[in-house]
Amino acid sequence: MTADASVLIAADAPRSARGTGLDRAFEILCFTAATFLLAALGGLIVSLMIGGWPAFAHFGIGFFFSAEWDPVKEIYGAAGAVTGTLVTATLALIFALPLALGVAIFLVELCPSRLRRPIGTAVELLAGIPSIVYGMWGLFVFAPWFSKHVQMPIMMSAEPGTLWETLTTGVPNGSGILSASLILAVMILPFMAATLRELFLTIPPQVRESAYGLGSTTFEVIDKVSLPYIRTGAIGAVMLGLGRALGETMAVTFIIGNSHGFPTSMFASGSTIASTIANEFAEATGVLHTSSLIALGLVLFVITFIVLALARVLIGKQANL
Amino acid sequence: MNAQVDTPPETAVLEIPPETVKLSIRDLDFFYGGKQALFGVNVSFAANAVTALIGPSGCGKSTLLRTLNRMYSLYPGQKATGQVLLDGEDILGSRVNVAALRARIGMVFQKPTPFPMSIFDNVAYGVRLYEKMSKPDLANRVEESLRRAALWDEVKDKLKDSGLSLSGGQQQRLCVARGIAVKPEILLLDEPASALDPISTARLEETIAALKTEYTVVIVTHNMGQAARLSDHTGFMYLGQLVEFGETEQLFTNPVTTRARDYITGRFG
Repeated sequence: MTADASVLIAADAPRSARGTGLDRAFEILCFTAATFLLAALGGLIVSLMIGGWPAFAHFGIGFFFSAEWDPVKEIYGAAGAVTGTLVTATLALIFALPLALGVAIFLVELCPSRLRRPIGTAVELLAGIPSIVYGMWGLFVFAPWFSKHVQMPIMMSAEPGTLWETLTTGVPNGSGILSASLILAVMILPFMAATLRELFLTIPPQVRESAYGLGSTTFEVIDKVSLPYIRTGAIGAVMLGLGRALGETMAVTFIIGNSHGFPTSMFASGSTIASTIANEFAEATGVLHTSSLIALGLVLFVITFIVLALARVLIGKQANL
Repeated sequence: MNAQVDTPPETAVLEIPPETVKLSIRDLDFFYGGKQALFGVNVSFAANAVTALIGPSGCGKSTLLRTLNRMYSLYPGQKATGQVLLDGEDILGSRVNVAALRARIGMVFQKPTPFPMSIFDNVAYGVRLYEKMSKPDLANRVEESLRRAALWDEVKDKLKDSGLSLSGGQQQRLCVARGIAVKPEILLLDEPASALDPISTARLEETIAALKTEYTVVIVTHNMGQAARLSDHTGFMYLGQLVEFGETEQLFTNPVTTRARDYITGRFG
């Protein structure tokens, strides 16, 4: 059928016949591309499952609940890394969300039009910086500063024996869970700000003008009309940011401290799934070690997939509003 | 003098009696960036009357409306010069509290603009901004406003439903109810019926006709029948100028200026 198409064209065939042949070839091409992508995704999941199977089989359900990770004794548990991942991503979100909202609102509502483009571009550039640069900056510049001006004062002021003291213990070198979260926050900020800005721009100008027309101040318009208007989509934007924070590897590996086990304090060093894999893959010699890392990868895949799927559903709902 | 009797005037603007004036516009120029959209508009609108603004697209009638509640000042680059006197006080000045001003001047737009909240909250929105009232008082105010907008019977059993769930015509009447709930002194309507079917339009027109006992209404419309039916005074605008302003009946039956006559008899526009 496709081979015939060129012949038909050459033979000065009727327009309809020529169009049909080309269209058919085009359809097949697109279909192949789409199938190929799905097949790759399926293959990835299957190979992660096969690769991780020895670990799941050996440790059973305990793999998810044990925080012990000891390559010497060949004991591997995912709880530390999973907790580290979820905690850093969530903290990053908490730090980044108000800033992202502020940036988006400023760009849409308040910014003088002359500054709109430069600031918008700056935000986008922030998203374009490779994560290893953030990591390096985090370790060499941010961590020492953070240690001296934030971590030390807080640790000094904590009363011994209180919960606050427990939450703030750690090696005062500036790297740890909280530092990683802050770096992550900076990294996801531009994505969230850009998505939120797009959402704000979907609000019909007349709806905003109506709110202003009733005598609202700018804050009242944003608080009572604009934000409710984009609420569903905004949750989706937040989830997209979360998805990115969950999988971020290099910057976190630089600054989280890379110790295994369950993180108990915000200044303690810890690990995430991605940082553990990045750190240990080259040295993983034993079957069980490799398999445990692959199993970790599968866990990360599932968590991220759920988060992104939720984000899609919510953003889709907003689009239908 | 005698030579000019046969030549119709370029512009003709009726001065309404000073004691009935609510809103007075003096030498108003308006600019979108570098582009001038209004040229020296001078006119007064009467209290408790409906004033219609007609004219071809782009003639500046919506722009004129948007200066009356300072809506343009949301957008950098748009500016108005001259005076707009509301009860004798210039509202174009930089020291005017724009939010408080807009609470006195309600506006309804071409397309319905319900807020993403319940029907009740939509109507209560503006009231809650400026008045502290008890729940029953607020409920009364909402009911009264919805009744006056001829929407109460259709929504009284579903006040908690989203305002977005109503039909287009109902949404537009909801916006009218929201606008009058704050008891503004002036109501600006920017082609309020252009997106509505004939039945909804008729209901909206009844609503507007009933409103003028308490409000000063200014309506921009493309529909000349609507202007003729609803208004006491009509202004005809062309290319950013107010060409003719007068009693509606006079303007539609016996326009003084050539441009207004051509437009009304359908020769252009």
